[in-house]
Amino acid sequence: MAIATADIALPATKRVSRGYWTDVGRRLSRDPVAMTAACIVLLIVLAAIFAPYVAPADPYKGSMIRRLKPIWDANYILGSDELGRDMLTRLIYGGRLSLFMGGLPVALAFVIGSSVGIFAGYVGGWANTLIMRTIDVFYAFPSVLLAIALSGALGAGILNAIVSLTIVFIPQITRVAEAVTTQIRTRDYVEAARVSGAGPLTIIRVHVLGNVLGPIFVYATSLISVSMILASGLSFLGLGSKPPEPEWGLMLNTLRTAIYVQPLVAALPGAMIFITSISFNLFSDGLRSAMEVKQ
Amino acid sequence: MTLAVDLDDKDRGGPAQPLLSVAGLVKHFPVNRGLMGGARSVVRAVDGVAFEVAKRETLGIVGESGCGKSTTARLLMHIIAPDAGEILFDGEKVGTAALDLAGYRRQVQMVFQDSHASLNPRLTMEETVAFGPRVHGFSRAAALSRAHDLLHRVGLDPSRFAGRYPHEISGGQRQRVNIARALALRPRLLILDEPVSALDKSVEAQVLNLLLDLKDESGLTYVFISHDLNVVRFMSDRVMVMYLGKIAELGPAETILQNPRHPYTAALLASMPSMDPNNRTQEAPLMGDPPNPIDPPPGCRFHTRCKFAAPVCSAKEAPLGAVGLDHAVACLMAIPGSGHPLAPALASEAA
Amino acid sequence: MLIYILKRLVYVTPVAIGVSIVCFLLVHITPGDPLSAILPSDATLELQEQMRAAYGFDKPLPVQYALWFWKVIHGDLGTSLATGRPVASEVGRAVSNTFILSTTATLIGFTFGTFFGFVAGYFRDSWLDKLASGISVLGVSVPHYWLGMVLVIIFSAQLGWLPPTGAGPDGSGGWRPDLEHLRYIILPAITMSVIPMGVISRTVRALVGDILNQEFVQALRAKGLGEYGVFKHVVTNAAPTALAIMGLQLGYLLGGSILIETVFSWPGTGFLLNAAIFQRDLPLLQGTILVLAMFFVALNLIVDVVQTALDPRIQRG
Repeated sequence: MAIATADIALPATKRVSRGYWTDVGRRLSRDPVAMTAACIVLLIVLAAIFAPYVAPADPYKGSMIRRLKPIWDANYILGSDELGRDMLTRLIYGGRLSLFMGGLPVALAFVIGSSVGIFAGYVGGWANTLIMRTIDVFYAFPSVLLAIALSGALGAGILNAIVSLTIVFIPQITRVAEAVTTQIRTRDYVEAARVSGAGPLTIIRVHVLGNVLGPIFVYATSLISVSMILASGLSFLGLGSKPPEPEWGLMLNTLRTAIYVQPLVAALPGAMIFITSISFNLFSDGLRSAMEVKQ
Repeated sequence: MTLAVDLDDKDRGGPAQPLLSVAGLVKHFPVNRGLMGGARSVVRAVDGVAFEVAKRETLGIVGESGCGKSTTARLLMHIIAPDAGEILFDGEKVGTAALDLAGYRRQVQMVFQDSHASLNPRLTMEETVAFGPRVHGFSRAAALSRAHDLLHRVGLDPSRFAGRYPHEISGGQRQRVNIARALALRPRLLILDEPVSALDKSVEAQVLNLLLDLKDESGLTYVFISHDLNVVRFMSDRVMVMYLGKIAELGPAETILQNPRHPYTAALLASMPSMDPNNRTQEAPLMGDPPNPIDPPPGCRFHTRCKFAAPVCSAKEAPLGAVGLDHAVACLMAIPGSGHPLAPALASEAA
Repeated sequence: MLIYILKRLVYVTPVAIGVSIVCFLLVHITPGDPLSAILPSDATLELQEQMRAAYGFDKPLPVQYALWFWKVIHGDLGTSLATGRPVASEVGRAVSNTFILSTTATLIGFTFGTFFGFVAGYFRDSWLDKLASGISVLGVSVPHYWLGMVLVIIFSAQLGWLPPTGAGPDGSGGWRPDLEHLRYIILPAITMSVIPMGVISRTVRALVGDILNQEFVQALRAKGLGEYGVFKHVVTNAAPTALAIMGLQLGYLLGGSILIETVFSWPGTGFLLNAAIFQRDLPLLQGTILVLAMFFVALNLIVDVVQTALDPRIQRG
């Protein structure tokens, strides 16, 4: 064949090709801020999972004579709460519910919102209009208001709080999913796939998912921080978990009366929410910029 | 592995029957301009186009951007559905029991203009080329082996390129992969929508030569779309000039390029940069942009920019009429007795 | 422009109707009979039937919705179960307090947010940028109810400079623009301003960075335009988007004030919502949410129209 040569001279050494996600991971690992944030998140998550082995005391066992001890007390490293329970222990255990209530709604909304959004974006037409107009209605509520309205109407409880927050995040993720899918759908490579006779499910699996899940995922990670704050906020209002369960928002609420006695101890649960939320945010930012680098 | 694909490749109508025959092709895009979606306007992207492509020939389609070239390509591929018109492929009407869309698409493939946008950034080259065969039931190993063969045929060493991603190779190499993908289903007709216009000039020549070689080797038929007359001249046996969704002129490449009969074709030729310093372009052959295809001018659509325009041109539309062997033009000046001052007199009057 | 406004209205109407349907259904997603939320648990069967008919709960849902909607557009949001007063008047009183707090917070947030955003965008990748960007990340990540508590701890509990709760010295009631009342709004307003500050600062940073990178600004610089001239260009080009974000943030604060109002016992809609939830006062809950959501829809519409009017690049077809 006459055209055996390629267009430009290639480096003689064979370079190992890397997939997109390998590249993203490599760039992310070089981002000190994102990696620090990831380590903090990992630490908190691991501590919550292995709470019984890590925590120094029983999270439910109080002591009426040792209430509201200060930080660095002989018996309590981070002081004790209004019922004399060890704060450090309760903060470690509290991560279980707080992370669960903050993370699960985003995960659920990611699955549901992506499916709905990818469907609406790929199908287009009147089905898209119908879905997206419905989504617009939920979008017309500020998210805090919608979360409180739903859990206020459904009643207090962990399950109801998770359901409410999931409903809050589905429209947001659906919008992003629909927007990216609509964009990808008109790409030439999707048309080329259609031309080669592939059915819609094959095209979505091979050509759409790989290109839309990344951006949707990044968006979802940026929601975790909001979700954590909202979930703990619901507990703070008394709409989420119930005493004596350790949960950061609820602990913050019950310790409100102690701000004149032990202000530092009273502020601790909120600080945990803050640290977790900002770590998720910084990690999400790092992930976004690692994915945005032009190829 | 014997496939239905190979059986379909059999020539049915013999060499005399056109491979592709298009009649009355129309595509109007609605433009929503009014409140509440009322008072719709349409873009007449393709407005009654008819032509044939003979077996093993290359038909070049030229025109300015917005003239309907790419829409025509997408209509031929059935990526978008035409509003009217029919497409016959080797004598069979597309979309009937004799030749359904899937069967048609196995024999007709397309190469897109933007080599980057037409490759999935998450797939390696071999995965991209193997996708079509996989869809048509090839095993993974068989599809990959075909992909490697095709990469080799388009001049990319599989051992170096098969595992690469689109962002790791050059534009010309990407376009070679696009060609390999289009060939993966062993089509008979390739629709090439501006395949080289995004490439550097040096790379352009290599890709064009590759296309010519592939055509000779595999007995392919091409519909080659470009805005560049030089490229079309190099590639095409016959040329079709489009203006605002209609055919302005259609005929053998040499005839059209040596002796254009439509003022628009002449203007396009005159606007080509010339290598001859004694043949410099003196005046701008084409003024301004094409008119808005939402409201095309009445009569001949070119009359607003035509230097031979006469009053009759805005009143009467010129049909596509034969002016020579296999040569047709849509201009009132070519129709005897049309009322245009430059038109030849009717035979009866001359006598 | 008039056509554009009409078009937006046509688009917003179904959304507003949808919002009203969601608010209407809030009462019906409550577990059990909606009546049980309204009546005391020891109500006689006779009374139950009577109330069921009175509230129209015996009719099919669409009919109930139509009746409710008809009342709502005539300004009747029902009667609060806890106080016996019309919901509309309860909400009306609370809304003005929330509005004062949210507007103050938005203005503070906008001022600091644009300042940090400008600095960060102008001196991109310098330490100033990192500092300003850091502050904005803090702003969007901080649980504001906790920040409110921390501020109370510092400025009320420890320093004793500012009152920890309430809207004024007279206990409850409304906020008035005098010095004594001003002391009460400082802490909640600053707490609340942190979120819009973070968001606005991020947006403005991106905007300023983009504008400075655009070729026309580079061309202006190349032509010898002074820094003041460049600054003016940046401001005129960034203003429409920044103002739009500010408007939307005001909407979020109006609807999202509940946590902060709870921390500071601020007598606004959030406080009202809190009371409604815990007294299971469903008409009050429904009415408050409807009013706040409609505020948000209307604000979105206004922002959209104003932004379009200010920004020549957006086509008003």
